[in-house]
Amino acid sequence: MHLKTDIVVMGSGAAGYCAADAILAKGKEVVVFEKRPFQGGVANCAIQFIVVRNEKAYQDKAFQLLYEYGNYNGNPLVIRQYVNNSWRTKEFIERLGVKMVAADLVPLKDLGSPERADGFPPAINVHGDDMLAMGRGKGHGGALIGLRAMRDIEKRGGKYLLDTPLTDIKTDENGNVCQAIGVNNKTGETVTVDCKAVIICAGGMMDDPEMIKEHTGFIYTDYNASGEGNVTFNCFPNSKQTGDGHKLAWKLGGAVGAVSIEGHDMVPGPGLVGPTPWIAFNEFRIMTEQPYCFVNKNGNRFLDESLSNNHMAINRAIRNQPGRVSYMIFDDDTRKHLEEEGVDYFYFVFPAEKLTDIRGQFKEVIEVKKNKHVFMADTIEEICAQAGIDKEGLKATLDRYNGFCDKHSDDDFGKDPKYLRPVRKGPFYAMRVFCGGYNTMGGIRINGNMQVIRDDSTAIPGLFAAGDNVLNELYGNPIIAGLGAAYFAMPLGFAAGDCACDYIDQL
Amino acid sequence: MKIEIKNYCIRCGICVSLYPELYAFNFEDDVIDVLRDADTPELEAQAVSSAKDCAVAAIFLEK
Repeated sequence: MHLKTDIVVMGSGAAGYCAADAILAKGKEVVVFEKRPFQGGVANCAIQFIVVRNEKAYQDKAFQLLYEYGNYNGNPLVIRQYVNNSWRTKEFIERLGVKMVAADLVPLKDLGSPERADGFPPAINVHGDDMLAMGRGKGHGGALIGLRAMRDIEKRGGKYLLDTPLTDIKTDENGNVCQAIGVNNKTGETVTVDCKAVIICAGGMMDDPEMIKEHTGFIYTDYNASGEGNVTFNCFPNSKQTGDGHKLAWKLGGAVGAVSIEGHDMVPGPGLVGPTPWIAFNEFRIMTEQPYCFVNKNGNRFLDESLSNNHMAINRAIRNQPGRVSYMIFDDDTRKHLEEEGVDYFYFVFPAEKLTDIRGQFKEVIEVKKNKHVFMADTIEEICAQAGIDKEGLKATLDRYNGFCDKHSDDDFGKDPKYLRPVRKGPFYAMRVFCGGYNTMGGIRINGNMQVIRDDSTAIPGLFAAGDNVLNELYGNPIIAGLGAAYFAMPLGFAAGDCACDYIDQL
Repeated sequence: MKIEIKNYCIRCGICVSLYPELYAFNFEDDVIDVLRDADTPELEAQAVSSAKDCAVAAIFLEK
């Protein structure tokens, strides 16, 4: 098959369909390559959308928050693209008939307010209005957006090539992108598309263990952590985020940028979380959010546990521990506290004020589901033996920590005294907590016009990128990044679509 | 009751997580397999629920 179009988009996830939308809005033609037999990428599991209002002062404040959050390592021009195009996300979603519900409308004066951040980094969670996209049934709003976006784009003349991975991008004698080539998975037919620009929106590399190891230092394991790895991903199973876009960009001379894990710590399955994000079988996900005692393999505390629901912070702390794992431990008094008085941190994804039958839940997960990362025992010695924690180390830590609890003062990390709960009275409960994330972020370098750049910062003519594969332009070079979300990918997709149209207008 | 999954299914696995008697991942062929017809009242009820729960309305039922 041989086609001709103005711009090719690689990937039909959030960045891809927004790029396609922007291209059609400017009167240009677009072809979208999607390697899966269906539409959408990891954004199919999106729920939350932070939206920066289309007001200059609001955008300026959001810009300042995000630039500072990355310790000024991010690309300010890309951050500006994000904040200035964010408002289009809400308009786009609502145009598709997907309902947006305001979880928190944040006035200008409250942008960056820790009080509104629910423990998340304020720059990430409070740089705009907090909206939820309402899904269908038990589904995620992002899934509905991806489906309706495809139907809308096709109705307006855009073409989706499903089940057709984009395998090569050709340049002409002047080095300008001129052709995209793919192969249909089912028929084996080669699809060649003559074009003037390509936008790479191919997602991350979380399903390629070798790439993860090479670019992040983490060792991949599945969502049950059944292997020897130390990072697990909370995304759709078999999502096939295999760094295809990175490979093409790098092949064409694009600079190799930093890749980070988008932090979201997890107690692995089985029996806790399904392979589908946000399908939880019990209340363990809520327990993990609580600000109780965290230790490493040596039995040592390593952070102010008030940060336990700040996923980026705790992931970074866990990464620095031996084996890159940690353990949350609490005792029977805290079990009663959670059941009778309620949670200390309310988690909006799994809202519950009081937990129920925690002992029964542990028993079920350990004995029936055979989970190897959840432990319950009458003594500290037994918990240590089960979990592989150094017994003497933990005993010494708990002696000290319980002393802090008794005097309501954490001399080591200054944890808020209201969260200082002793670990003293058996039975004891423990969970092994791993670094996790929804995807990887970054790896392809771009400039402020969303063009893929080389090591010397010159642009590759006609090659653009958006979405998870460029998201470290927002943060710089973090080991564990703040968040890789559809609400970051979508504005960058719009921007890439606009910039690619401007580019071909100037040819 | 027969169950059909349309090709725009996103393979998210909500149906697999909630109704494992009816659905399973098939990673080899990159599809969700329908394991059986919903041929008992209990399975029929599950099938109806699964169609309602599907994120993209890809599950169709035929009596």
